[in-house]
Amino acid sequence: MSRPLPSVQEHNPEPSNPLGLDGIEFVEYATSQPLALANVLQMMGFAPIARHRSREVTLFRQGPMNIIVNAHPEALTGMTAPGARPALSAIALRVRDADAAFHRALDLGAWAMPTRASAMELNIPGIHGVGGSLIYFVDRYKDFSIYDVDFVALPDAVRAPPALAGMHWFGVVQSVYAERSGDWTDFYRELLGFTPLPGGQYFGILPKGTLLASPDRNFYLQLIEQPSGSDDIDWDERLLRVGIGAPDVEAATRLLKERGVVFVDRDPVQPSAKGALTQVYFGSVTFELVKSDVVAAPPE
Amino acid sequence: MNIERFGMDTITLAGPLEAKLRAVRDGGFTQIMLSARDVVGHPDGEQAAIDLVRKSGLRVTGFQVLRDFEGLSGDLHAYKIDIAKSMLAMCSALGARVLLCCSTTSAHATDDRDRFVADLQKLAMLAVPLRIDIAFEALSWGRFVSDVASAWDLVDRANRHNLGLAIDSYHMLAAGTPVDALDDIDPRKVLFVQLADFMWQSTPTPDERRETARHFRVFPGEGVHGAQIAALMRKLDELGYDGDYSFEVFNDDYVQLPLATVTARARQSVQWLLRQVPHRSLPFRRHRAA
Repeated sequence: MSRPLPSVQEHNPEPSNPLGLDGIEFVEYATSQPLALANVLQMMGFAPIARHRSREVTLFRQGPMNIIVNAHPEALTGMTAPGARPALSAIALRVRDADAAFHRALDLGAWAMPTRASAMELNIPGIHGVGGSLIYFVDRYKDFSIYDVDFVALPDAVRAPPALAGMHWFGVVQSVYAERSGDWTDFYRELLGFTPLPGGQYFGILPKGTLLASPDRNFYLQLIEQPSGSDDIDWDERLLRVGIGAPDVEAATRLLKERGVVFVDRDPVQPSAKGALTQVYFGSVTFELVKSDVVAAPPE
Repeated sequence: MNIERFGMDTITLAGPLEAKLRAVRDGGFTQIMLSARDVVGHPDGEQAAIDLVRKSGLRVTGFQVLRDFEGLSGDLHAYKIDIAKSMLAMCSALGARVLLCCSTTSAHATDDRDRFVADLQKLAMLAVPLRIDIAFEALSWGRFVSDVASAWDLVDRANRHNLGLAIDSYHMLAAGTPVDALDDIDPRKVLFVQLADFMWQSTPTPDERRETARHFRVFPGEGVHGAQIAALMRKLDELGYDGDYSFEVFNDDYVQLPLATVTARARQSVQWLLRQVPHRSLPFRRHRAA
């Protein structure tokens, strides 16, 4: 006699952080013009510290924040080659068990990313996110890092360059089509354990959309819908920009201005103690500063 | 309400996809419900069919049909997930925003409602990155789900933003579902409505329902359940349903008639339907899936 199938109700309730999610390991930009983007990243305080052994991929770091710039020209199955306009192409999440997180996501209806689509040769599992972007799961971030395998340190590079003005990851902003915030809230809640904050609770200088808190309360996703009555504007669903937290936004803004970063200085995004928004570089790259006291631990 | 809210279903017409698209447009309709067979059966291949649809100027009401999806396990479940992914990819390529999924008739499905809910949740999740809504429909000969109330129970429990109901007047009539059953449904979760009547009073067995559904449907206004269809239209209107209607009229005679003859009958049906609902001056609101 065959064993009856387990029902949903027989499953034990899941913990509120089912993946053991523990912050952002890195964000990835894809671009065919890596040097131009590197200049902007360096103005923002990120230092290039390592280069991939075999691909045109560079690791930038600042305090607890890692950025990978992927200029690998080869178009991989199911993916397009990086274009001239840099795109925020992946978020890597720290989790307790990457393989378990990946398979749990597939069981719940995620799409597996194309084989070897990752910027890394190390096998990092990942799923499709918004637009053409990917969400990686990384579990090697404590005892040794994923970069130890794939990357070679640049000569004279400081391994752990300190953060300017205590800057740290605050979150990622995503554009969504009209009336699609609910769909993406389901996506992040069910697959990753994010929780929508009550309406009206915002940070920074762009108080709109839907804010989702990560289960470890380390960072946020902000969903911004296409404004109604704006059918004529070019709008698609993608990762728009990263949010960077700083305990003293005005000090951070001042420091970055001195390094050449230009901030939007007109309403409604006038730089203030709550936040600031940089100009858009290359038609697609912008950074948002947000008042945040949380300073994540630097990488070991 | 106006003709903009009504579309034709390719199943209702004979001939190749080009001819169907042209006939529907020439018939004064602005939208079309597509079947996977229209796409994969095109002699010049799938991409040619997708290009034709994209260039037709017609809005795609939805794409059908994912069958026998819920309640499977093991290899069968994995197989159906693969099928669902292929259907979703086609749906997306066509610019369709809704995929129709019909309640299972499979002898291999388990009668586990929790499993049904989990499977619909999984399907809805697969559809999120592709900007597709899943419309779940109760087939009147479905093995476990054969009426609107049962389909709604699953959709409600699954509680996913991009999962809703497809309502088919034929199945409601065949299953003997009163229109008041819609009172228990959130009208915002009705993703589209398919319309058809038939020529005899009742279809007491599942086999009769299936046979009638596949060969003997007629347009609303042509069959014997006009009063019930009129009541259904008024109920949906009262509930505030502002989405699309599509004529899904499987009929062996219609697929051997000139396409213009069939679309003319569809136009007559639209006029008949418009006479059944009170005229209101409310502006037409576009459904989010448009």
